[in-house]
Amino acid sequence: MGWITFPCIRMKRPFAFVVVPALLAASPSPAAAPAQELAQRAWAVISQKCLACHGNDAEKIKGGLNLTTRAGALAGGESERTVLKPGKPDESLLYTAATRADPQLPMPPKDNDALSPAQLKILRDWILAGAPWPGEKPAAGSWNAADGIVVKTSGGLSPDWSNRRYKPEDVWAWQPVGTPAVPSIRDSKFTIRNPIDAFTAAPLALRGIPQAKPADKPTLLRRATFDLLGLPPTPAELDAFVRDKSPDAFAKVVKRLLDSPHYGEQQARHWLDVTRYADTAGFSNDYERPHAWRYRDYVIRSFNADKPYDRFILEQIAGDEIEPANLEMLIAVGFLRMGPWEHTSMTVAAVTRQDFLDDVTHHVGVTFLGQGLRCARCHDHKFDPVPTRDYYRLQAAFASTQFAERPSPFLPGEHIGDTTAARARVEQHLSDARAVLAGLRQKNQDAIAAHEKQHGAGSVADLTKSDTARRDNFGLTKDELSVRKVHQKRQDFFERERQRFEAYALSVYSGPPNNYTSVRPLFGVPTNRVGVVQVVSILNGGALETPGEAVKPGVLSAMSAANDLDANSPWALPDSANGRRTALAKWIASPQNTLTARVLVNRVWQQHFGRGLVATPNNLGAMGGKPTHPELLDWLAGWFTENGWSLKKLHALILNSATYQQTSSAERGTRNAESADPRNDLLSHFPTRRLAAEELRDAMLAVTGELNPQTGGPGVFPEINWEVAFQPRHIMGSVAPAYQPSPTPAERNRRTLYAFRIRTLADPMLEVFNRPGSETSCEHRDATTVTPQVFSLMNGGFANNRALAFAASLEKSAPTLKSRIELAFRRAFGRPPAGNEVKSCEAHFNKMLAHHRLNAPKANDLPTKVKHHMVEEMTGEDFFWDEELDVLRRYTRDLMPWQAGAETRALAEVCLVLLNANEFVYVR
Amino acid sequence: MNAMNPHRFGCQHFAKHSRRDFVYGLGATLGTVAFNALLRQELSAADNPQSANPLMPKQPHLAAKAKACIFLFMEGGPSHLDTFDPKPKLAELHMKEFTRNDRFASAMTSGKRYFVRSPFQFKQHGRSGLWMCDKFEHLARVADELCVYRGCQVDSIDHPTACYQMNTGNRFTGDPAVGAWTSFGLGTRNQNLPAFVVLPDGAFPQGGAANWSNGFLPAHFQGTPLRSQGSPILDLNPPPHVTRDTQRANLDLLAKLNADDARRHPNQGELAARMAAYELAFRMQAEVPGVINLDNEDAKTKELYGIGQPATDRFGRRCLLARKLVQSGVRFVQLFEGGWDSHDYIDRAHTGRIRCVDKPIAALLTDLRRLGLLDSTLVIWSGEFGRSPDNGVRGGENVAGRDHNAKGMAMWLAGGGVKSGHAIGATDEIGEKAAECVHHLRDLHVTVLRLLGLDDNKLTYFHEGRFKQLSQTGGQVINELIA
Repeated sequence: MGWITFPCIRMKRPFAFVVVPALLAASPSPAAAPAQELAQRAWAVISQKCLACHGNDAEKIKGGLNLTTRAGALAGGESERTVLKPGKPDESLLYTAATRADPQLPMPPKDNDALSPAQLKILRDWILAGAPWPGEKPAAGSWNAADGIVVKTSGGLSPDWSNRRYKPEDVWAWQPVGTPAVPSIRDSKFTIRNPIDAFTAAPLALRGIPQAKPADKPTLLRRATFDLLGLPPTPAELDAFVRDKSPDAFAKVVKRLLDSPHYGEQQARHWLDVTRYADTAGFSNDYERPHAWRYRDYVIRSFNADKPYDRFILEQIAGDEIEPANLEMLIAVGFLRMGPWEHTSMTVAAVTRQDFLDDVTHHVGVTFLGQGLRCARCHDHKFDPVPTRDYYRLQAAFASTQFAERPSPFLPGEHIGDTTAARARVEQHLSDARAVLAGLRQKNQDAIAAHEKQHGAGSVADLTKSDTARRDNFGLTKDELSVRKVHQKRQDFFERERQRFEAYALSVYSGPPNNYTSVRPLFGVPTNRVGVVQVVSILNGGALETPGEAVKPGVLSAMSAANDLDANSPWALPDSANGRRTALAKWIASPQNTLTARVLVNRVWQQHFGRGLVATPNNLGAMGGKPTHPELLDWLAGWFTENGWSLKKLHALILNSATYQQTSSAERGTRNAESADPRNDLLSHFPTRRLAAEELRDAMLAVTGELNPQTGGPGVFPEINWEVAFQPRHIMGSVAPAYQPSPTPAERNRRTLYAFRIRTLADPMLEVFNRPGSETSCEHRDATTVTPQVFSLMNGGFANNRALAFAASLEKSAPTLKSRIELAFRRAFGRPPAGNEVKSCEAHFNKMLAHHRLNAPKANDLPTKVKHHMVEEMTGEDFFWDEELDVLRRYTRDLMPWQAGAETRALAEVCLVLLNANEFVYVR
Repeated sequence: MNAMNPHRFGCQHFAKHSRRDFVYGLGATLGTVAFNALLRQELSAADNPQSANPLMPKQPHLAAKAKACIFLFMEGGPSHLDTFDPKPKLAELHMKEFTRNDRFASAMTSGKRYFVRSPFQFKQHGRSGLWMCDKFEHLARVADELCVYRGCQVDSIDHPTACYQMNTGNRFTGDPAVGAWTSFGLGTRNQNLPAFVVLPDGAFPQGGAANWSNGFLPAHFQGTPLRSQGSPILDLNPPPHVTRDTQRANLDLLAKLNADDARRHPNQGELAARMAAYELAFRMQAEVPGVINLDNEDAKTKELYGIGQPATDRFGRRCLLARKLVQSGVRFVQLFEGGWDSHDYIDRAHTGRIRCVDKPIAALLTDLRRLGLLDSTLVIWSGEFGRSPDNGVRGGENVAGRDHNAKGMAMWLAGGGVKSGHAIGATDEIGEKAAECVHHLRDLHVTVLRLLGLDDNKLTYFHEGRFKQLSQTGGQVINELIA
C-alpha cells in the first residue's frame, strides 16, 4: 500500500530519482522492496534518534510516546498531537519536530543530535509511503549496499545495533592496515628524500600548491633539538652544524639527538601525557604515590633503549605476568594504576573497585587503541562498532588485577641519589608529629584518671554519654583537638613520603579479590591467594546496582584480523586468574591489530608536525578526525611494524624527510597555500608551534646555563609562585603540608619532567601554558594565548630570576655589552642578532642602567612559617596554627636582584624581554 | 608603536574572524569532523582581542533576567535537617538505634546507627512562611527572596567527587565548571577582568582547582581565584623593584622585536594575539586593584556585611567583593566556604558555620536588591550534598552529628528569574531521601543555565568524540524553580 504513493514523490523531488533505481535494482522483488527498505531505513533513524526517550526504557518513556510499535506511534503521546499520519509527513509530529521548524518542539532536543537532511528525507519518504513498519527483526541481508557496511561484533544489546550499518569512512581504522604503493612524483619542483615526501607531494602536486623551501640550518637545528630533546641547541652545536657542509650533516644531527639521554625524557613527556602520570593519587587527600617515579623513569629508560613498541605494550599491561622474576616488569605495570584513585571511610568499596575497572578499561582503549571505550559502559557505542558486551569483556581482563606495592630492589639504572638528608627530614617530621600526638594522648589519659580518682571508676563514661563529649576527647581543649587532627594527618603524609626511598614498585598482581579495603597502600603480595576471581557482568546503564549477564574476558570483537585466538570463540581471552592481561596485551601488540601501529605512528607524527595525520590521536573512530593522508598513515604503520616497532627509526625517517625540513613560510606559487589549504592539512610548509609548558621552563633554564641535566630519581620540588606554594589546601579533616621547594638550586633546576607532580597543586606557570591536569589522558596540548601567561613570564618570580641568572652568565662568558647581546641571541633564539637588534638592545640596556643605578632593590627574606586557617568541623569555628617551613631555613636562593650590580640588573631587563619574545616561545 | 594599535589588526584580519564563526556554526550540525582539532587551530590563530576574543559578550540562547551569577558554595555538605528542612519526626526517633548493612553503604554509614534530632528550633519567616532554623537571624529577614529547593539528588557521598559533580556535572575531574560553561556561553562584559572569578576560603577546597576548571574548554574560561591576601591575581604585580616606566620600556622593546619577527613570518596570527595579550595585561595591572579594593566602601556597607566583626569578617569581605565584581561586569562569581562537614556535634558545628555566613549572605541579598542588581543576578546557595538523619558510633560514643547524604539535601536560589518566596520539593518524613519534585543534579544544572539564558542542549563542546554539555547527557528544566 505504502509504496504506491512513491512515484508521486519522484515527481516532486528530483533527488529521489537517484535513489530509487538503485533500490529497485538491488532488490529481489522490485514491487515489495521499496517499502521494506524504506521501513528499515526509517527504523534505523528512529531507533538511533528517538528510542532513547521513546521506547528503549519502558520506565523512562518521555511524554507518554512509545515509538517501538506502529500502534504506539499512531496513538501518539500525552500532547494529543498527531505523531504519525501515514502519507502526510507535514501533519506528522514525528517529521515536523525533526525538521526543527517549530522552535518550541525540536526533536531530538539537542541541536547536535539533529537529523541530517538525508535522514529527514528518509523519514519523509517513509511517511509519504504510508509508514510501513519493519518486521520483528529486520533481516540484515535486505539492506542495500549503499546504506553502508555491517561490522560483525560479539553482538549489541539489541539486534538493531548488531545489524546497523556504518559508512566505510567511519570504520576505516577497523580495516586491516593497507600496503599502499609509494606515489611516483614526476614534478621536479618537489624534493623527494624518502617515501614520506612522495605521499605528501602527491596531493600538493594535484592541487598545484608548491612545496616550501628548505629551512635554513639554524631554524632546522632549533626545530629538531626541541622536537627530540625538548631543549634548545647550544651555540656550539649551532656552529658545528653550520660548519658541517657534508650532505648528511643533518642526518648526523638526528642521530646525535636520538642518542642523547634527553631524547627519552622528551619522548616520556609525550607518553606520560597520554598515561596521566602524577606523583599523587588525587581526590580528598591527594596522597603521595611514593613509588610512582619509578614508572616515570622506566618509561624514559625504555625510550632511550629504543625498546620495541610491541614489547613496551606487553610490559605495561602484563609485565608482571610475562616475567614475574624481572623486577623492572613490576614497575612497568604501574601504568595500570596511573589514574586518580582514592578509597576513604566514606567510599563504598564496590564503587571504588568499579571506578578502577572503568578507568583502566577506558584508558587502555584510549592509550593503545585510539578508541575511547567509556561510552560503551552504559550502552552499545553510538558511533563505533563497540558493543557494551565488549566493554565488559575487556574489563574482565582486569578482573583479577589487584593493587599492591611490591618489593622491588632498585635496579642498576635507577638513580635514587643520596637520600640521607631527605630521609632525616622525614624522620624528624614523623617523630615531631608522634610526640605531639603522644603528649595529647597522655593528657587525655591523665585527665580521665584524675576525674575517676575524684568521682569514681566509670564516671567519665557516664559523662561522655551526653551529646557533646567523647572519651578520647576528654580533658582536651578545642584547639588541642584540632592540633591532634592536624598532626594525625601530618603523620599520614610523612609516612607515605618516607616510602619514597624504599624499594617498592607501584604495581599489581593477578589473583582473586584480597578484600583489602583499607585506605592505606597494601605492601607486598598476600600469600593467601585462593578464591574466585571477580565475575564481571554487564552493568545495565553502567550502574553497579543493576548487574546483568555475566561475561568472560575478551577483546574488541569488531577487529577480526587480530583475533586468531580460537576458531570457536575468536574474541575470547583465557579466564584463569593469571594470563588474562598477557593475552590481551598480545592481541593489542600484534601487527594484525588494525589500530595499534596506526595510533602510535600518528602520535609520533603529531610530535613533529603539531597535528597528527589524524587530528585526534586518542580517537580513530567515527567521531575522530579523518586522516589527512590515509595512505601515508598506513604506509608508516606498516613500515614501523616491519622495522621492529622501533621508535628511533621512525623519528629518523620523519626528520630526514624533505617534508620535515621545509621552512614554516608557505611558498608563493600559482595557488597559495593560505587560500587553497588554510589549515595546512597538506603540509605545504612546516607548522609553527608554541613550546609546551615544560619545554618553555627547561629552555629558560638551559639558556641561562642553570639546567641540571641529571636524569631520573624521586621527584624534585622546583620553585613555584610562593603564594601558591603556601596556599593552604584542604584535605580530609586538615590542611596539606605547605609546598616547600628543594633547598638547593641544583635540585630545583632539574628538567620539569622530574618535578614532583601533585594532582591538586599545579605549578601555575606551567598551567597557564596549557600543561594539562593528569586526570584524563591528554592526546594533544592546547596552545591558547591568555593574559595570565604575560603575568607569569613578565612579572613572575621564576622568569625574573632566570633573566637575572641569564645576565650574570652572559657577563661571565662575554667581555663586552655587544658580545653579551650577541651571545644572548644565539642562546635564546639559536641565531645571531640581525638588523638593528643589537642597537635596540644596547639602547634599552643604557636606559635601564640609568634607572638601576639610582634604584637599588631592597632585600626580602623568605618566610620561615606559614599561618594556616581552617574551619574546625567539630565546632564550626576558625582554627589557626603555624607550620614551620623547615626547608626554607636551610635554603639556598637563586641570585637575587639585591645581590646583583646595576649593570647585571640592566642586562637582566634585556634578557627578560628576550625570554618573552615570540621567537623564544615558538618553534618554527 | 603602530603595531600595538588594536584597530589596525581589527581591519586587517576581519576575514579570519568570519571564518572562525563559520567553524563554530558548523559545530552544531556536522557530526563527524574532529571539531576540537579544528577549533584548536582556529582559537590559537586568534588575531586580536577585538575580532577573536572568545570572551566577548554573546547573545544568550533565550531571553533571561539573570545576567550574572553568584554561587555560594558551602563545602562539606550543610545539613538540610538543621537549616531549611525541619523534621519533627526525628525528635520522636531521637537516639533510637538501628543497624544498616548494605553493600552500597560505606564503611562509615554501615553497622550500628541511631537517629539524631535537630538541636535547633525552626520558625517560619516572611510572607511566604519559609521554614528556617533559628540560627539564621539575618537571613530570616530576607526570607521572601529565597526559593528553597529540597528535591535535588546527587550521585556521590564522597566530598571531592560530590564537589566535582556539583561544580562541573561530572564526579571525576576534567569537565568545565558551571562558571566556565557560563562564560563560554555568554562571554563577559568587562574585558579587563576575568569572566569567572573564584573567591576561595582560606584553604583551597578538597579536590583543589579542578572545582573551577575550564576542563576541555579553552583556557580563557578557567575560573580565576582572587586572593584575599597578597597579589589578587597571581603575578598581577611585577617584582617590587620594577616601576611602571621600566616595564613600559621593556614592553616597547618586546613589541619591536616581535614586530620585526612578525614581518619575517607573515600570516602567523598567533604572534599578533600574543602581542595584544601583553598590552591587555599591562592595562589589567592598572585597573584590577581598583575594582577589588574594599576601602572605598562606606562604613555602613561594611557593617552590613559584618566586615570587621570576627565571626563574619572573612566571608563578609568575599560577599561584598562578589557584589563589586558583578557590578563591574564579571559574569560568574563563586565563593567557597568550607567547614560544613559536621559528622560530630552538629549543634556546635553548624551554629558556628551559620554564624559566619548568615549576616554576610543577608547583606549580599539586601545590597543587591538596594542597588537594583538582584533581578539581574542569580544567587545560589548549596553544598555538595545533604546530611543523614542518623549517625554512627565513633570512638565508642554517640556524637550527635550527621554523615553524608546524596539523596536528600536542601539548597536555595534567589534573584533573577527565580520563584522567590517558595519552598519547592520535599524530602521524606525523616529527611533521608527527596520525595517530592525529585530531580537529579543534572536538572538543577540545566535550570541554572536556563535562568542565565542558556540552553544546556545548545551549550555544547566537541570533545573526545562527542558533544559534551554540563548536564553530561541532557536534562530538563525544573520549572517549579522559575518565576
